[in-house]
Amino acid sequence: MSTDTLTFLLPEVILVLVASLVYVVGAFVQKPALWTWVAVATIVAAGAALFAMPADLQPGATVARDGLAHYISLLALGAGLLLVLLSSRSADPRLAPEYVGSLMLTVAGTMLVGAAQDLVLIFLGLELISIPTYVLLYLGRGSSAARESAAKYFYLSILSSAVMLYGFSFVYGVGGSTSLVEVRAALTAALAEPTKFLEVGSLATVLLFAGLGFKIAAVPFHFYAPDVYQGTNYANGAVLSVLPKIAGLVALVRIVAIAMPGEESTGWRLAMVLAALTMTVGNVLALWQENLRRMLAYSSIANVGYMLIGLAVGFVTSTRPEVQGFDGIGAMLFYLVAYTVATLGAFATLTYLGAPDRQVNSLDDIAGVFKTQPLMAACLGVSMFSLTGIPPLAGFWGKFGLFFGALTIPGEPGDSSIKIWFVVLALIGALNAAISAGYYLRVIAVAYFRPAQGTPAAAGGAGSWLVAVTCALLTIGLGFAPRPLWEESLAASRQARAANSAPADEPRTALNAAHATQGD
Amino acid sequence: MFDLDTLIVLIPALPLAATLVTAALGKWLLKEYSHVPVLAATGLAFVLSLLLLGQVQSAAGPGAHELREATASVAPAPQTIGYEHVVNLWTWAGISDAYAGDQVHLPPGVTVPHPLDLKIDIALRADPLTSIMLATVMFIATLVVIYASGYMHGDPGYWRFFTYVALFVFSMAMLVSSSNFLLLYVFWEAVGVCSYFLIGFWYQKPEAAAAGMKAFLVNRVGDFCFALGVFSLWIFYGTLNFHDTVAADGTLLMPGVLGQTRLAVGLSEGFVGGGIGLAIALLLFAGACGKSAQFPLHVWLPDAMEGPTPVSALIHAATMVTAGVYMVVRCTPLYFAAPEAQYVVAAIGCFTALFAGLIALTQTDLKRVLAYSTVSQLGYMFLGLGVGTLTGITAGMFHLFTHAFFKGLLFLGAGSVMHAMGGVLDMRRIGGLRRLMPITHVTFWCGALALAGVVPFAGFWSKDAIFAALSDRMHGEPAGGPTEWFYPALYYAGLFTALLTAFYTFRALLLTFYGEERIPPEAGHHAHESPRVMWMPLAVLSLFAIGVGAWFEYTHGFADFLALTPSLAYAPVAATGGHHAFHMDVAAISTLIALSGVGAAAYFYLGDRRAIDALTRALKPAYWLSSGKFFIDQIYGVIILWPIRALSALSAWFDQRAVDGLVNQVGRAPLGLGSILRSLQNGMVQFYALVMVLGLLVLLVGTLWR
Repeated sequence: MSTDTLTFLLPEVILVLVASLVYVVGAFVQKPALWTWVAVATIVAAGAALFAMPADLQPGATVARDGLAHYISLLALGAGLLLVLLSSRSADPRLAPEYVGSLMLTVAGTMLVGAAQDLVLIFLGLELISIPTYVLLYLGRGSSAARESAAKYFYLSILSSAVMLYGFSFVYGVGGSTSLVEVRAALTAALAEPTKFLEVGSLATVLLFAGLGFKIAAVPFHFYAPDVYQGTNYANGAVLSVLPKIAGLVALVRIVAIAMPGEESTGWRLAMVLAALTMTVGNVLALWQENLRRMLAYSSIANVGYMLIGLAVGFVTSTRPEVQGFDGIGAMLFYLVAYTVATLGAFATLTYLGAPDRQVNSLDDIAGVFKTQPLMAACLGVSMFSLTGIPPLAGFWGKFGLFFGALTIPGEPGDSSIKIWFVVLALIGALNAAISAGYYLRVIAVAYFRPAQGTPAAAGGAGSWLVAVTCALLTIGLGFAPRPLWEESLAASRQARAANSAPADEPRTALNAAHATQGD
Repeated sequence: MFDLDTLIVLIPALPLAATLVTAALGKWLLKEYSHVPVLAATGLAFVLSLLLLGQVQSAAGPGAHELREATASVAPAPQTIGYEHVVNLWTWAGISDAYAGDQVHLPPGVTVPHPLDLKIDIALRADPLTSIMLATVMFIATLVVIYASGYMHGDPGYWRFFTYVALFVFSMAMLVSSSNFLLLYVFWEAVGVCSYFLIGFWYQKPEAAAAGMKAFLVNRVGDFCFALGVFSLWIFYGTLNFHDTVAADGTLLMPGVLGQTRLAVGLSEGFVGGGIGLAIALLLFAGACGKSAQFPLHVWLPDAMEGPTPVSALIHAATMVTAGVYMVVRCTPLYFAAPEAQYVVAAIGCFTALFAGLIALTQTDLKRVLAYSTVSQLGYMFLGLGVGTLTGITAGMFHLFTHAFFKGLLFLGAGSVMHAMGGVLDMRRIGGLRRLMPITHVTFWCGALALAGVVPFAGFWSKDAIFAALSDRMHGEPAGGPTEWFYPALYYAGLFTALLTAFYTFRALLLTFYGEERIPPEAGHHAHESPRVMWMPLAVLSLFAIGVGAWFEYTHGFADFLALTPSLAYAPVAATGGHHAFHMDVAAISTLIALSGVGAAAYFYLGDRRAIDALTRALKPAYWLSSGKFFIDQIYGVIILWPIRALSALSAWFDQRAVDGLVNQVGRAPLGLGSILRSLQNGMVQFYALVMVLGLLVLLVGTLWR
């Protein structure tokens, strides 16, 4: 690690340092509003550091400075900013410093995963998300439901980390290095003369999907999500449905889709199966929920299913340059933003409508909200429409890109099965989008048409109000002008692949030397 | 003062702003002044559309050619076909290298970068066709808003009405000025939605609600075909833009469906012909049939008269229903690529004109007579378009133009009667109103003479232009060909319809304003002429109904200007043109016919009406058919609604007995899946871990087994 690497990680360093400071000083200064402002200022400073970074840095092999890292960093910072505002009144005032500090660490972890080019650093980033999340969930220890959900998340998260580490060790086994650039080089070289040994790569792929599948809540690694969301508050639910998913998906892209050539056929099959399962289970179960957080948990599961379509498409398009389809990973990155904005909007609205000590829980609690809180009802409506995928909102373009990508995969010469599989996948996706309208639109119907059963507390704080309105405006804006974000997301995906394949020559020799010494 | 770009954007933007203002403030603040922002917006938009018309004319019209030559020395301008000016507001969706587009038909010698980009441009255009439509729409809309401020006075939904009207005007302006099929489709639906809102404006009345629903559902059929047509265009033309899509550096990205590149190449190579071309043209025409109420999708328009009368005038006579005609004219090159489609357009148009004319003979509700007359006149327009010559197409558009004035006038006049008669329009219960409502009476005369096609009123000239074009085509067809009888049949059917038109128009006029004075009790004791705010628009429209046809016939301004639209300046279309000559023989025949229709109506309905009763008795079956509207609604009821109802009853039975029974036995199918999955969600963390590991094992086995 050179000093350049440290400079490159300056935004993360700022976040982690201030978070540590907040933990310590927070024990003596009891001013919740102050800590919200500190967090906002820190995130803005981290963003400024990201943009102020000199262009001629040589970050070395451990971190990447490509479009993907930049995209994910900005997304994490933006989501972090919204989350801080959203949760400004959610935590117990005495615990505000811990809350805000943990949130900043989680954002730093997400950014780190986005930039990391080394298995160790990726693992570090993922744990930097998980451990503060345990704290976040446990801060509500007053209620037994919150304690239970924290404990569940903790145990299952550890299990998934173990599986993921196991996968990492296999990656190291086939690649001979923890550096993703070198792993890619080694596998590219090995593909020239395939051996049985390469099947270990498939083993690694499965384990990575399983381990990271927990972070993104893909079926069958999703079980914690509904229980945990229901047991905690909206702020924590919002954190869980956004940050770990960003990190998990980008880790899958970095490790499996880019660094492990030769695993594409395993990759697209796995992603496809998981996508179909995750969408269907998420949507079918969401239909039956009366508890809003539980419904949003299933919604977040279903949305990961859609994004996995993009990953599956990305595996195919990365091996076949002649495929003139949508770049699946770019579509996934776009969807990630559309999903994040709409989901945060929904969580923020529901946070605002409740009060810290009296949350909005079931559908009945928001009945007739349109009469008393028309603006919040409209924001909730925009989020729900966007999540359903109704034009001209952001979510429509997200689904459009994912499905279009799947539909443009051509068959291989003499074998059209892959084309058929992807058409089937797109059909499953479209069916699921139709099913999802059942519960998303029900929220709108209840909020607008069912008679009110009392006035909502509407004491979630100005922060959550601001987030709700911002997210609604962003959703509409992205719907009408999706082009800049499309271009950013496609460029991010292109750059991540190109940057990785460019210096393939030089490390290969180093690696061959390593293999040679092993052979001796 | 304003350049073209600003004008194109401002004209739709003003009504949009008025929509937002009345929607936001109407209920709380504006109340009975809700018409003010709408009036200001439409009036201003009308002035701007006149400026636009002037600018387009000076840029495209006679003399502009020299101008182009002069500027050509500075920068060699490409040889353009017609005149168009496109403003790309923004690119809604734009994804580079999105798809292969194997089926896209490119003209020979034209290359575009592969793979194709997915681009959806929000682009507006100005050309002769658009500027004529905009000026017409804005003019009628302004008058109707003035009229409606009196007509709707005191209605509890006053602000709601004007919000819808402003939204409609915005959508209509966008419909005629968009330069993209997707945008056209969006606003095609948007005007349909506004129409639905306004037909069902008095939603407390069950007939109004049902009529709104019917209009919406019948239009679904047409719009579905239209959507299929748009999809086909996207597959085979690779773009939905009318104009050529050009990159910033001037390279051609994709020739537009109706763009200069394709127009320059010509008939057989520039456009998709054959079965596909025919299918596209017919699908688009099916959409036009829905919107413009052509047989067999005409059934919604008469029922749409349940809406407030200003709406009937604006939407269901002058503007929205002509959207189909506009679209077919815009797509003229696509119809020239598929000549068989033109036969269909002409045949459907002619049949609808005749058919609706026959129904209008016996209707007893004044607005229904006018509604069927609208259907019939729209049929004339399509007949003109289907002639397949430049003169025919410009004649069809000319009829659209004059029809907007005189039919708007007639509807507003009917509204004036309705206003005075306490909502009653049944001509068996009203009569002899000429002394009570002198202004309405005189203006109605002007409209009726124009509709009947009596020289020199507006309708005469436009209808005559259609007959002249048809006559030219008829005489130009080779003898012995398959079309030998086709055009003559259309011609004589059209002439017969003209007789019917004159008859039913004057029947309505005479029944309403002549004979003994009959005022229904609903009118109360204060039946009187309408207030000035309502009769002023009538007076203005009367002037146009009298003069607009002769003026443009005299100056040749309309057809010559319209022919500069790129779709009509396209060589194969322009070649069929020649200069429109006034045919004295055709004019004489049609005048004779119109006058005999008027005379027959006068004979039967002036004085005592014994003759018509005798005639009705003599022709009882025909009367029965006509007054029953040929029982089309009932036929649809039998062949469409009953089977659907039967099917749904069967489905309901099947659902309740078989499915529910099955479901109850098995545990309800969806909940079955849900309950299986939910039973897994048992809250036990050990169990979750177990399933996660099992899932991992299944994936491992599945992956490594291969």
